[in-house]
Amino acid sequence: MLAYTLRRVLQIVPLLFFISLVVYALVALQPGDPLEALIFANPRITQEEIEELKKAYGLDQPIHIRYFKWLGLALQGDFGLSRTYAIPATEFIFQQRLPMTLLLSGTAFLLAVVIAIPIGVYSALRKYSLADYVITFLAFVGYSTPVFWLGIMLLLIFAVWLPELLGRTEPIFPPGGYVTPGLDPAEVGFWPYLKDRIWHLVLPAFTLSVISMASWTRFMRASMLEVLSQDYVRTARAKGLPERVVVYKHALRNALIPIVTLMGLAIPGLFSGAVLTETIFSWPGMGRALFDALVEKDYNVAMTALVFLALLTAVFNLLADLAYAVVDPRIRYR
Amino acid sequence: MIQTVRKTWIAIALTLGLALAGPQDNSLVVGASQEPRVLGDFWNFITAQAIASEIENLLWAGLEFIDQDGNDQPLLATEVPTVQNGRVKVTDIGDGKKRLEIHYTLRDDIYWSDGTPITSKDAAFWFEVGKHPGAPLQDPTYWERLKEVRVIDDKNFVVVFEPAFFYDLVGSAIGLAPEHVMREAWEATKAEIAKLDLKKDAQKVTDLYHKFISSFASPKALNQGKQVFSGPFTVRRWVPNSSLELIRNPKFHIEPPGGADKYVQKVVYRFIQDTNALLVAILGGAIDATSSVALTFDQARAPQLTRRAEGRFDIWMVPGVIWEHIEVNKFTNVQSVRDLMLDKKETRQALTYAMNRQGLVEAFFQGLQPVADTWVHFQDPNANPNVRKYPYDPEKAKAILAELGWKDLDGDGYLERKTEDGRTVKFEIEYVTTAGNRIRERTQVFFQNDLKKVGIKVKINNAPSAVVFSHDFFSKAYDGSWKGLFEFAWLFGIVDDASVFTCNDLITGANLVPTPDNNYSGVNFGWCNDEFDKLRAQAMVEFDAEKRKQLWHRMQEIWAEELPAIPLYWRSNPYVIKKGLVNFISSTYHGSFGYPTTQGWLIGWEQNGAQKIYDQADYATPVR
Repeated sequence: MLAYTLRRVLQIVPLLFFISLVVYALVALQPGDPLEALIFANPRITQEEIEELKKAYGLDQPIHIRYFKWLGLALQGDFGLSRTYAIPATEFIFQQRLPMTLLLSGTAFLLAVVIAIPIGVYSALRKYSLADYVITFLAFVGYSTPVFWLGIMLLLIFAVWLPELLGRTEPIFPPGGYVTPGLDPAEVGFWPYLKDRIWHLVLPAFTLSVISMASWTRFMRASMLEVLSQDYVRTARAKGLPERVVVYKHALRNALIPIVTLMGLAIPGLFSGAVLTETIFSWPGMGRALFDALVEKDYNVAMTALVFLALLTAVFNLLADLAYAVVDPRIRYR
Repeated sequence: MIQTVRKTWIAIALTLGLALAGPQDNSLVVGASQEPRVLGDFWNFITAQAIASEIENLLWAGLEFIDQDGNDQPLLATEVPTVQNGRVKVTDIGDGKKRLEIHYTLRDDIYWSDGTPITSKDAAFWFEVGKHPGAPLQDPTYWERLKEVRVIDDKNFVVVFEPAFFYDLVGSAIGLAPEHVMREAWEATKAEIAKLDLKKDAQKVTDLYHKFISSFASPKALNQGKQVFSGPFTVRRWVPNSSLELIRNPKFHIEPPGGADKYVQKVVYRFIQDTNALLVAILGGAIDATSSVALTFDQARAPQLTRRAEGRFDIWMVPGVIWEHIEVNKFTNVQSVRDLMLDKKETRQALTYAMNRQGLVEAFFQGLQPVADTWVHFQDPNANPNVRKYPYDPEKAKAILAELGWKDLDGDGYLERKTEDGRTVKFEIEYVTTAGNRIRERTQVFFQNDLKKVGIKVKINNAPSAVVFSHDFFSKAYDGSWKGLFEFAWLFGIVDDASVFTCNDLITGANLVPTPDNNYSGVNFGWCNDEFDKLRAQAMVEFDAEKRKQLWHRMQEIWAEELPAIPLYWRSNPYVIKKGLVNFISSTYHGSFGYPTTQGWLIGWEQNGAQKIYDQADYATPVR
């Protein structure tokens, strides 16, 4: 087991190297470069002057030279400055953006788990009842609703329509952002500040959780139904166990295994952010940061974020594999 | 317990109330769809963003500013230097070139926000940093021409340009930077740069400049109070990706009528990237006014907004300086240019007659974005209203095309002609624009339909903006990278020098037509007119505004006759402004590009006693 783990960890190294190479090439091979846009700010600029600036930004070198330069510095822990913000790319990602993303996607994740599992179980237990049909219908609606539309509609309903209907001047939920502008915990105190932050979190977290909520409800229902038809469940019932114990002790625990796998795979996604939700709710997360960095060709930020995500994916894959061995005695790694 | 809960809710209600209530606490919440990356990059080393310029107007005062009518006004300087008041000395230095010496005197009552007087040292310091070898300059020509900032005494200095151009006298000739604050960090940066090889380590040098700027201009640095201000406001707190709070600077030298306490005391910028969400925030009442970078043209006319505007908001369309047009490839070495005779002015005239530009702006923009006649904005003091115009006239277009030898030979509804070398060519023209830009794509289809009526077939060839504006595509029309029409926009500020249409710059000797000979520099796609070039060379060094206007008028006449490009319309900038807010005024040239913050010290609420000095209605069209 230990040898296997070490081997896998060592495999991650060339894998990351390869991924960084591919990602760097893809980013660098996008058409256009950041300095060509200068001609629109200053049509008088000559090609020679643009070439000079390219030198100043290190864009004059061929891609492979630039890549190895970047790699050399990255191995020493220097991921460079963000070209757009003029602060270290690592500071931008790990201090400014990642915590915000984890807060949003973590909340959405929890929300989805807490709602999807009980509903899925309920739906399975009352198969083909009216409640089951309603839940199934809502799950399909939720799964197929575009996030950008849902986000804007929620904003309109809670920040404009409902307040107008109720004759209130303040919105029920704020129209985007993660905190009321100018609100300072040092002035208003910790609890009002926390409440304000939660107040801002509700709509984006709900919007982000809808799709996983809908799909996990369906998965949970299917998995539960499958387990409920197993022999050991019948046996449990046959030996006269109360229905509660049959459902929650014998069936649910086994039905949860595939769902846990599904959720485990979703974890690296928590770090990558959600471009659409973040954009609509002005949430300063990783998805938006990565998108902007790619559009504005802020190479250092894009590379740092993508390599970090690649590392996370590799590590969580390894952890999932190891977890199988722990959970399932039939699996042995050599 | 209940007590605490109630207190908490009161606190929340209070803070929310504060954030929402503009007039109540004399504050202003501005909604913007972009956020500055840094504030106070006095040399534009890192970036030049519109939103940064708009906010910097509130934080740092220049020597002069451009007022709502496009005229220069002094701000930190005692008066605007002119030839008439003896502050500007023009010397002929041969080859049609001039040298300019501009004498500025600083006011006695101006201070940085920490109480230090603003002096000539701050001008000299700005010059020193920008001139230092290795600086990553985005406008190298300007810095090349700026030869000297000569300090006479604490309040007097002379700025020297060589060769000088007329626009060196439009707005502030140079910037200022607080020497007493930034000197120490600059000396350290200079020492670091001295250790590097400027050629080999160019990128490291750039990083040093960027670090120097961000140590004063990043949100963190500003929150730590690392910078001082000379404008009507100072930074109180910048929460990146959320908001920026500015409070009134008591050291600012201009007292608005009735006293500063009658005017806005706090300005909060809210950054909401998604413009639909921004629209919702406006509807929800969370925003008092929009920035110059906020809603799109269509959103400002959305019924959700206009229906709720009555009695709450004014919605204005301010004619802007963004010129939407169609560039025409005129390089005769490109086969299809020769076949379609795009190098002939008659062809371009026929195309323009055949395109219903007025119909377009009526159909798409309710006429709120006016048709352009030339590249000079109708609000520009140099505009010539009497140039040749091209109203929609398909019959005239057909007649011109027939005269050029075009005829529908095979009866398919499209024109053909026999070329000199005996081939039959069809009038099928390529039309390129940025894919994904809905208005442009709809415009294309609109004109495709118009052109079909005169027998011209349009072949649409769009690609994302990163592709069409890349050097290999955009600048290489000479090699036929694009072969016919290319719709995009230029931004012509009040200092436009017609370089976009200049073939030979007779002053610098540069050729501005992108060909292999000049490494594809310049953006004039094959139009050379000697008279135009000569007039422009004269105008560039004509420091008498009246005389320059005559030259500029004649240039517009030539341009309108020749039509090197097809002018479409001037884009308008929408502003949504709560009733009662005054002097948050935008016009075509206010602060060069229409920034409503240009005279920030006058912004206030009428209900709090602020006097309305300017009327937005004089400079914009209301949306109803």
